[in-house]
Amino acid sequence: MEGLRSRTWIAILGFTIGIIFVVPNFIDISRLSWWPSTRLNYGLDIQGGLHLVMGVDVEGVIATSVVRQTLVLKSEFEKEKISIKDFNTTKAKEGQFTVNVNSLDDAKKIEVYMQKSYATTLQVLSINSTIVELKYFDANMFEQKQNVIRQAIETIRNRIDEFGVAEPSITQQGADRILVQLPGMADAEKAKQLINTTAKLDFMVVSYEKSPEELRRLIAEAEKAGPYSLATLKYTEYVMRLNQDLAGKLPAKSLIYFEKNENAKSMEAGSMPYLLKTDTDLTGDFLDNATVSFGQYGEPEVSLRFNPIGANKFAELTGSHINEQMAVVLDKVVKTAPKINSKIPNGQAVITLGSSTNRETQLNEAKLIATALRAGSLPATLEQLEERRVGPSLGKDALDKAKTASFISSLLVILFMMIYYKNMGFISSIGLLINILSIFALLGSLGATLTLPGIAGMALTVGFAVDANVLINERIKEELLKGASLKSAIQEGYSKAMSAIIDSNITVSATALILLYFGTGPVRGFAVTLLVGIVTTLFANVFVSKVIVDNLVYRFGFQKLSV
Amino acid sequence: MSNKNIINKNKNKNINVNVNKNTDTDTESFGRFDFVKNISLFGGISVVMVLASLIFLSVKGINYGIDFKGGTEIQVKFNDPITIKQLRNSVETLQLGEVGVQSFGEGNEFIIRFIGEKGASDKETNEKLNTVITRVKEKMTETFAASGVEIRRVDTVGPQVGAELKRNGFLAVFYCLLVILIYVSIRFDYKFGPGAVACLFHDAVITLAIFMLVGKEVNVPILAAILSLIGFSLNDTIVVFDRIRETEHIYKNKGYGFIINRSINDMLSRTLITSGTVFVTALCLYLFAGGVVSDIALAIAVGIFFGTYSSIYVAAPLILVMEKLNLSPRSVNKASLG
Repeated sequence: MEGLRSRTWIAILGFTIGIIFVVPNFIDISRLSWWPSTRLNYGLDIQGGLHLVMGVDVEGVIATSVVRQTLVLKSEFEKEKISIKDFNTTKAKEGQFTVNVNSLDDAKKIEVYMQKSYATTLQVLSINSTIVELKYFDANMFEQKQNVIRQAIETIRNRIDEFGVAEPSITQQGADRILVQLPGMADAEKAKQLINTTAKLDFMVVSYEKSPEELRRLIAEAEKAGPYSLATLKYTEYVMRLNQDLAGKLPAKSLIYFEKNENAKSMEAGSMPYLLKTDTDLTGDFLDNATVSFGQYGEPEVSLRFNPIGANKFAELTGSHINEQMAVVLDKVVKTAPKINSKIPNGQAVITLGSSTNRETQLNEAKLIATALRAGSLPATLEQLEERRVGPSLGKDALDKAKTASFISSLLVILFMMIYYKNMGFISSIGLLINILSIFALLGSLGATLTLPGIAGMALTVGFAVDANVLINERIKEELLKGASLKSAIQEGYSKAMSAIIDSNITVSATALILLYFGTGPVRGFAVTLLVGIVTTLFANVFVSKVIVDNLVYRFGFQKLSV
Repeated sequence: MSNKNIINKNKNKNINVNVNKNTDTDTESFGRFDFVKNISLFGGISVVMVLASLIFLSVKGINYGIDFKGGTEIQVKFNDPITIKQLRNSVETLQLGEVGVQSFGEGNEFIIRFIGEKGASDKETNEKLNTVITRVKEKMTETFAASGVEIRRVDTVGPQVGAELKRNGFLAVFYCLLVILIYVSIRFDYKFGPGAVACLFHDAVITLAIFMLVGKEVNVPILAAILSLIGFSLNDTIVVFDRIRETEHIYKNKGYGFIINRSINDMLSRTLITSGTVFVTALCLYLFAGGVVSDIALAIAVGIFFGTYSSIYVAAPLILVMEKLNLSPRSVNKASLG
């Protein structure tokens, strides 16, 4: 038989790879570093948890930013000696506003000024003797909107750290939504409350009255006396308790907040304490905007712009703390603590990043800092659009039941095949078992999420996979009836059944693909298992079963195989 | 067991035994059952069933679940027996608007359901649905603390998300049918197209009607089940079509009635066995799995049942009708070359 040897090896290889990928789901193989450790995850509907879809009021933030822009322009026009009447911001939500002017001359001056100073951000839509229409460029609007979503995600992520959820997932969904998935989250009310609170941004001066060693020693003492640690308490509670306990030991008007170490996954895994002075009253309310910009050598940095009151406060603060560090604190977490080089009088500051790291990490850091700053200065309102909460007991019950049901149904299918198709049915059943193994292996290697509908999809795949074998076996029967030899009946049976097998798999995969595209959450799990099932069916129930049959007939010289 | 056995067994089952009522000189028969003979009877039954389903669906309306309608669903379980009336009374004292309470599964498990009020803005509805959860949870722990209450599941879908899910659902159904129509037209002759689509429509509509009849709701997973059902059912139809195409040029001179009968008979055991295995699987899931899996399985079990019937009695005969309507030699040639 041509190519039988190589086909046999391919089948064995596929089977072995399947086993390798399935094992991590049942046995702890963490000691073997070379063994692939990706495993099948359970969806929220099985392991229990909280699924939230939050709508972000992007337009509201754009409107605020337009209003702030007009205030900046107003003072700039004064400096440029361009006289204007006032601004009209009724279309602020679309990033558009008009300047009411007295003469065409002023309007033209504005146009020239915009081209000079705002060439990349604002475009002049039209001018006449009374009105100048201005709008953000589309690219700029898009960037701003993306920023709003990004900062909302950053704010939520900041708070989720509180709970020590094992694998939180916070992702953008569509243009203005955020999907928050918290597996195993029990206190849903608390989580929702935290997510919905507005972010609080503070600028605080770092105190040097205690050395870092002293600070760590004090913290360790307090933790020991408690006893408590970041592992046992939520971050905000921990920080509150710690500062309470250290009240007498720390200098007056100062407290300890932490920065998450670079590369640390959570605060618990690595945190750096800062002693901060509480007597600076500069909050996110005074900050107009923060963006990533580039220095004279193209190095990424963060530009800050304070509003007029903020600018005065900032000038005072920087003037009196030259050569000290100023911490940017978002929701009690230190995001960065740059050194103040000089007094900054005009409310426009730049945070430069150290030159030790490469440009890529610098850019990411700059983005992160700018996002944190904006989160506190331009907080977006969140609206809860969808909530799905599954208690842990329900998920476990459902999983057990679905497992039992799938087990019974698979057993019935296998029994039927063995009784009805005898020898060939036995081979089909082996194919089916390899199929089930392959589904687990493939889903596991993809790190896919197994949902309840996904389990249904898996069981149905088993019921449906034997279709290929039924088609083949019926064909073989037919050929035998015509008086063909066993060898040619098998050959013909497989090759003639192929077109129907391909057809039926294409139709199911077409619907599964459409489901994958339009579906969300658990339904996607269903579609994924259907799709994976089609691939594994072609491998196990068609390819492998043929290899087995051919080996029996050609290598081991079987003269008969009942069907 | 030997080859001889196989032949014997099949003889016993009469799969290929001549029961030829045709007075053809050719001894070859189309097989055991004359499907084409009863075409008008079964075709009529199908038409009546589809019409009845459509009327039922349009009169009673599709009972959308909160996925599509928007609302809040809270599943609670008690350790001690609680009557549905007790629970309803206690929730009604909260005065949160219209509330539905129904028992769920076995034991002391209930679903409390709120639907967003008409006329309220999206924002108001979202906020209301959100507060409902907290209020109900407080009330439950306060009133039924002694009965061991547990909130097992909460689903809240706001009006925007609901409308979007609905739109996506309909788009999915639409694209699904479109892709199928295109695929069948490319893969087979045009005359197969209407049969396939009519078949799917038949299956989907009847399944939906039966689903409503037993008092179930349509949520996203059910829609997904109906879509994959369309995939499964189509596959049945296509296998028969494939056989028709193959049989077509062997028995070209015997007419389409013979070809269709012969093809369906040839594929009958395959159709019944595959449908049977999927049906049994779905039935097991329906009986033992519970919850959403059970609902998906019910839709598939019902659908497979009608899908099998329709690929025999709806799809293939429609080809006959198409063939009678259009007897141009071109279509026959094209089909036999296809």
